[in-house]
Amino acid sequence: MLEISIFTILALFMLGGSIAMITNRQTLFSAFGFLITMIGLGGMFALLDSRFLALAQIMVSVGAVVILSMLTILTVNAKNENLPYEPNKYKWMFFTALLVSPFTFLMYKSTSALYQSFSTMETISSKVLGKLLFSDWVLPFEIVSILLLTAMVGAVVIARKERRKKERRKSEERS
Amino acid sequence: MLSLIVILPFLSAFLMALVYLENAQKKRYFFYTLVGVGTPLTVTVLSFILGSQVLAGSDTIYQTLLQWIHVDNFNIEIAFMADRLSIVMISFITFIGTLIHIYAAGYMKEDEGYGKFFAYFNLFMGSMLLLVLADNPIMMFIGWELVGLSSYLLIGYYHNESSNITAANKAFILNRVGDFGFIMGISLLFVSLEGSGFTFDSIKEHINMIDKETLSLIGILLFIGAMGKSAQIPLYVWLPDAMAGPTPVSALIHAATMVTAGVYMVARYSFIYIEIPDIGLFIATIGAVSALFAAVIASYQSDIKKILAYSTMSQLGYMFMAVGLGAYSSGIFHVFTHAFFKALLFMGAGAVIIALHHEQNIFKMGGLKNSMKLVYITMFIATLAISGIPPFAGFFSKDAILVIAFATEHYILWGMGALTAMLTAYYMFRLLFTVFLAQPKEAKNLQAVPASMTTPLVILAFGSATVGFLGANEAYGGSAWINTFLSLPDTKLDISHAKEYMLGGLNVLLGLLGMGFAYTLFAKEAEATKVDTLFKKLVVHKFYIDEIYAFFIVKPLLLLSRFIANVIDPRIFDGFINFNVWGYRRSALLFAKLQNGKVRYYALYILIGVSGMSYYLILKLGVI
Amino acid sequence: MTPELFFLLASILFSIGLVGLVSRRNLFVLYMSIELMLSAVNLLLATFSKVLNDADGSVIALLMIAVIAAEAALFLAMIVHIYRSGRTIDSDKLNKLREGAQNA
Repeated sequence: MLEISIFTILALFMLGGSIAMITNRQTLFSAFGFLITMIGLGGMFALLDSRFLALAQIMVSVGAVVILSMLTILTVNAKNENLPYEPNKYKWMFFTALLVSPFTFLMYKSTSALYQSFSTMETISSKVLGKLLFSDWVLPFEIVSILLLTAMVGAVVIARKERRKKERRKSEERS
Repeated sequence: MLSLIVILPFLSAFLMALVYLENAQKKRYFFYTLVGVGTPLTVTVLSFILGSQVLAGSDTIYQTLLQWIHVDNFNIEIAFMADRLSIVMISFITFIGTLIHIYAAGYMKEDEGYGKFFAYFNLFMGSMLLLVLADNPIMMFIGWELVGLSSYLLIGYYHNESSNITAANKAFILNRVGDFGFIMGISLLFVSLEGSGFTFDSIKEHINMIDKETLSLIGILLFIGAMGKSAQIPLYVWLPDAMAGPTPVSALIHAATMVTAGVYMVARYSFIYIEIPDIGLFIATIGAVSALFAAVIASYQSDIKKILAYSTMSQLGYMFMAVGLGAYSSGIFHVFTHAFFKALLFMGAGAVIIALHHEQNIFKMGGLKNSMKLVYITMFIATLAISGIPPFAGFFSKDAILVIAFATEHYILWGMGALTAMLTAYYMFRLLFTVFLAQPKEAKNLQAVPASMTTPLVILAFGSATVGFLGANEAYGGSAWINTFLSLPDTKLDISHAKEYMLGGLNVLLGLLGMGFAYTLFAKEAEATKVDTLFKKLVVHKFYIDEIYAFFIVKPLLLLSRFIANVIDPRIFDGFINFNVWGYRRSALLFAKLQNGKVRYYALYILIGVSGMSYYLILKLGVI
Repeated sequence: MTPELFFLLASILFSIGLVGLVSRRNLFVLYMSIELMLSAVNLLLATFSKVLNDADGSVIALLMIAVIAAEAALFLAMIVHIYRSGRTIDSDKLNKLREGAQNA
């Protein structure tokens, strides 16, 4: 009973947040919706007895990703007139929803046809995860760490200001 | 050896054409004369050899070259057949042809396209021989077409004048109109025979398979071809215009040989025409009407070659009258004799034209009797022959035809024939007297006529005088040798000798009458006909037939073809295709819009595909 | 509490993300929709790990979160770059990869 109600509340949060995310004109408000969705997701993970996952979700997904995107949004700071002009936003959404609905339905039906009940209520604690992570899944773990490194370097390179090249050329000309 | 007769002229034409094309400017007079005249001479010798073989009693000679088409029932071989009819035909075709070739060597001596001329001329010889020696209707038709082609090439020989080209086109097109009927006739014949073989012999055997109505239709259709080729009404208008070609061409093609192909055709298909005497009557009527019509027009013409052209048409009418009434041998006999004196007349006319520096109006000539004695004498003989004065050749052949008309009780035809005979004598002597006897308007200085042109005249004059005896009836002491030799299915006549003598005498009388008329009118002073009465006006303008044809047939066709070319073709056909192209372009543009570089749309396309599959799966799997 | 609810929720979230991806032109919203889709998959993985009593699902979900973070960094860096050079955050303005313009 308790779980169902918590689930319902969290689900509402998530749905509301995601719908707000995709329908808002202002970018920052979309980001807020996204934030709520991610928090709700963290809650969902907790509900599914994956403690570490819930923590990781809150820490990384909310604390890093969402905050980062908000930061970028505010940095870019597009004025109202620079925002994209989307006249038929709702029409597009309606028709796309129509297109996507059978797929959703199919996905739901196929997955629910497989498993009808939860097996155990054993919590997947950090101990279990840690053990798995460093035994069976050590290779993906390491690769993901390299991936993070590469992503960091890549982000720095992509977002670099162009002026540096001109400054270097100017300094070369002087010397 | 039979095939050589046909192949040699073609080969020599090909050879001369190659040499001519190699360098058209060089005058290789000796070479062209050697090949161009030597080939017909060789062929003449060959045909005489063959002729003597057949005379000595051997049967029809056959020679098959190769199989050409073999599709189910349709089995055509390139094969030649020399039966008696063919032998008679090739004997005079090659002989007179060679003489005319010799004549042409003199006539065309100064001409630039000498080699071209002889190439065409030999092409014609080969085609005519192919026509006559063919074993089956298809081969004959090939020869038929080739003769028409050679005629076109030779009429338009002086191609710098556009009127000559028009005349050549006219000849070819009218020929084609006739050929349309001819092809239909042959096709109908083939279909009716239902695959029992298609050579003349086998058609003859199986002719009973075809019912009378189809046979009549075939006969008419084949005769339409003859109408075009042999210049009978209504497809005759090309013949006077064909005189635009050089005189040797007129002599050979339009007098002695090509125009007689129609008569030969009827004789060859005699096994059809004896079954359908009504069609034969139709043919004879057309022949008689054409003969009379041409004679009337010829009486008022002033161009020497045109008079001779109409005379040819008139004599051809006689020939058709004969074969139409069932007297095939007499028709062929008249072809035979006519070739001699008509070729002679044309060649003599050519000599006169050359002597007077290409003058062709008879009223500008006159008094040439003393200066061109040889030509005068030979042409006099020929004129006597054509007028039907015994003992020259024309008398026997013409008389035979008129006797047949009388004996089969077709008195109207006989009357037309007799009247034509008188007119023939009249206009031919008119020509002779005006050119040679009448007082000239001014004195002329003549160009010399080479011996190569005059010698054939002598030979042909001799022929005109004598060959008549080959076919003389029993009434005149002959044995009608040519009739028995040809062994064609002639209708048997039942007429007493007395009647024959009467008719013969009547013919002679009419001929002398015509000669007398001409003498009184033209021997002393030749005046061009004054065009005062309406009748004279009609006749001088050839009854305006050319104009009628142009107005009622040519003009509508031209308008129609212009309409199709300018309206239907661009708008409908091109328009349809352009519409298709426009449609494709538009749809291409439409599809190009799909690729707009926006990732969003591409994701949408993927989504559409996925959702389509999902819908399908849901419906199929019945997961609802 | 049956897994069906979670499956339903995950599916709906995924489709909402898909709809947002296709419909919106704003690059940020695009990015966030992608994130949403990935997160929905995470939810699905976690549910499966609970259903099957196998912790592998959770491990994958954990690694996915790391990947999401990396992708976030790159995506946002790219948005910054694009904004700096083109002064736009409209995805429809980035259509230089289409076929040559047909002038017909």
